[in-house]
Amino acid sequence: MSRGRGEEDDDIEDEEYEDEDQFLDDEDYDKDEDVGRGRGTSSKKRRRSVFIDDVAEEDDEDDEEDDDELYGGCGKKNSKAPRVASQFFDLEAQVDSDEEEEEDEGEDDFIVETGADLPEEDAGRRMHRHSLLVREDEQEDIEALERSIHARYARSSHTEYDEETTDVEQQALLPSVRDPKLWMVKCASGRERETAACLMQKYIDKGSELQIRSVIALDHLKNYIYVEADKEAHVREAVKGLCTLFAAKIMLVPIREMTDVLSAESKAVHLSRDTWVRMKVGTYKGDLAQVVDVDNVRQRVTVKLIPRIDLQALADKLEGREVAKKKAFVPPPRFMNVDEARALHIRVERKRNSITGDYFENIGGMLFKDGFLYKTVSMKSISAQDIKTTFHELEKFRSPSNNGEGEIVGLSTLFANRKKTHFMKGDAVIVVKGDLKNLKGWVEKVEEENVHIRPEMKGLPKTLAVNDKELCKSFEPGNHVKVVSGTKEGATGMVVKVEQHVLIILSETTKEHIRVFADDVVESSEVATGVTKIGDYELHDLVLLDNNSFGVIIRVESEAFQVLQGVPERPEASLVKLREIKCKLHKKFNLQDRYRNPVSVKDVVRILEGPCKGKQGPVEHIYKGVVFVYDRHHLENAGFICVKADSCCIVGGSRSNGNRNGDSFSRFSSFKTPPRVPPSPRRFARGDPPFDSGRRHGGGRGGHDALIGTTVKIR
Amino acid sequence: MGTAPAQIPTSFGHELRACLRCRLVKTYDQFRESGCENCPFFKMDGDNERVVDCTTPNFNGMISVMDPARSWAARWLRVGRFVPGCYTLAVSEALPEDLQFSFLQALCEEVHVQYVAPKRV
Repeated sequence: MSRGRGEEDDDIEDEEYEDEDQFLDDEDYDKDEDVGRGRGTSSKKRRRSVFIDDVAEEDDEDDEEDDDELYGGCGKKNSKAPRVASQFFDLEAQVDSDEEEEEDEGEDDFIVETGADLPEEDAGRRMHRHSLLVREDEQEDIEALERSIHARYARSSHTEYDEETTDVEQQALLPSVRDPKLWMVKCASGRERETAACLMQKYIDKGSELQIRSVIALDHLKNYIYVEADKEAHVREAVKGLCTLFAAKIMLVPIREMTDVLSAESKAVHLSRDTWVRMKVGTYKGDLAQVVDVDNVRQRVTVKLIPRIDLQALADKLEGREVAKKKAFVPPPRFMNVDEARALHIRVERKRNSITGDYFENIGGMLFKDGFLYKTVSMKSISAQDIKTTFHELEKFRSPSNNGEGEIVGLSTLFANRKKTHFMKGDAVIVVKGDLKNLKGWVEKVEEENVHIRPEMKGLPKTLAVNDKELCKSFEPGNHVKVVSGTKEGATGMVVKVEQHVLIILSETTKEHIRVFADDVVESSEVATGVTKIGDYELHDLVLLDNNSFGVIIRVESEAFQVLQGVPERPEASLVKLREIKCKLHKKFNLQDRYRNPVSVKDVVRILEGPCKGKQGPVEHIYKGVVFVYDRHHLENAGFICVKADSCCIVGGSRSNGNRNGDSFSRFSSFKTPPRVPPSPRRFARGDPPFDSGRRHGGGRGGHDALIGTTVKIR
Repeated sequence: MGTAPAQIPTSFGHELRACLRCRLVKTYDQFRESGCENCPFFKMDGDNERVVDCTTPNFNGMISVMDPARSWAARWLRVGRFVPGCYTLAVSEALPEDLQFSFLQALCEEVHVQYVAPKRV
């Protein structure tokens, strides 16, 4: 009878732990495990409460059709244990329920069937078992009860199911030593699901010969499947004959990792329109792209890229000419110009996308619009997490036609997917998303996901917790700030304009406007002196460049120099990297100016022709006929002007001797028309000071004319 | 094992769909032919619309449950009460679930069954 009941119970599914009783074979197995578990039903509660109250309270877990099983087990036990003894046990159970739970051996003596006892935690279950001992004398009632329970639970099996979906219940379902183990089996790549289905079919064909319980194929784990079984031998048996599985590689999964197998799911970054992503494969690998359309069904996205097309190669290919494929050659990114393509006789088709209604140009099978390439790729070939873009890249992305509306949208999604930004206590922030949008405040505390801010507005609680994705640093025009990350790191300056995430700062060192992301900036009173030296080269050095051109370093930036080229016709400052500089130039040249006065470094000259005519200043460098003059009033190129030696003339005295005649002709006078000749006889008498400055640098420097004291003859 | 197992999916392409309530995986055609073995009240058999409403192609991972009663994995995933068959680990639904949810809930309520949305990615 009891056995019969036991059989029925097999059909009714339950979520209980399954005890592995070594002593029993399969049929007994189910029954006894249920006995062991002793989960009560409501009727059970009623009855049990008569004997042991706390048992009933503990029984908050799933209701099952255990009733029957329990009774069944109970019946069985009856046949073994003498009535008298069990009655005796009842009392024992009631009184010493707590102790008895701890003693496994004790229970074993009395109850042979159940065999190996539960080492399990569940105190409640054991309690139930004790209380079962009571019921041997109520077998008839048991039958009736069983029937009613059956009826009740047949109906509400679904509700029972739903009761379990809390986290607490999930905890209760953690794998125990009695549960089947998970075995990891190596599988042919790409055939995991198929293999799982094959095994299913095999199971249906073979019935319970196949001793595995389930097969798991994870999407994100290629080459392996998990088989749930009690013994490795069962796994081997099941796997025999399947060509996609390799029985040589069967590995046991440790019990603590079992739940990870089933809970491990790939973190899906939510891809939406206008999200910024980076390409992972292909010619565009590493390029920034913007999502235009998402197709979840086929797991593909359409993205917008800056094309890297070699038009010539494309033309050749389309016309059937042999193209020598240059493997390493990746064309630089450039907007597609339809006319150029037409010029090369590449066929350009104008197609209309029925869904969006936009016109696309189809060139060689690729779709273009507004110069951008629209490409449909699988979701696997893009990476959407933690994309750091530089300003430069975003700028380039702005459509050549429109001017910036798209940008703001793009930036907000960029910041949404950004890694945690660095908020510090005391930062002024503003909420940019959600209900509290535009609320300003100061950071009080920074946590993992949330930032606590002290809002500016009255009537709000002291601190509010806001998700850090919804916050952005806020600055006011006039704040003195310092850039702490990004390409402009180290610059300090004053904020002149704030545009959501972008700030325009007037840099102290370079006196220019720089655009930076608000995230990269902190408020600070530090004033940067600017870097003046990288490696061996300092600001204002004359250097020789790789291509044999030369120039003066007019600005030092983070990794490169701005060099004013030594070409007088075209004053051009170019960005030069450290390694492109060959060496410094020290050689002292002596040149002559227009009027053939010798010019050397530190002389003041005036420029007589060219765009900088009229400017004057000391000579900083001379090289190969070119003079670099520094005029502090000159606004370009940090005040440096490059001129040919003969487009300038010396002004006044050399700076070094400090003896300057403001008169521009005084120099000439000493050579060509010596108006002071008449007084020359007096030279001897007075040792004429005005002439000291004349003649030559070398002579003038000393302040002492070499002619003094010599005898001369006037012709 | 007494219960008749559910149909095994016959192919593994894009036609595979998962029932939104019990997460059973079959192909579209199989659902249309014989409905969902665990949720017969959805009445998917013969009704194209119903199949589309009650199932989704966006799911993650697959588990073939041979013996739901004895399988720990099935219990953990809460398919331990269902018929043996192929189930999915989680559903990643792209559509706004409000519409579907209320519709399914209505269906379930008709037969006094509580509908709990399956675990999502």
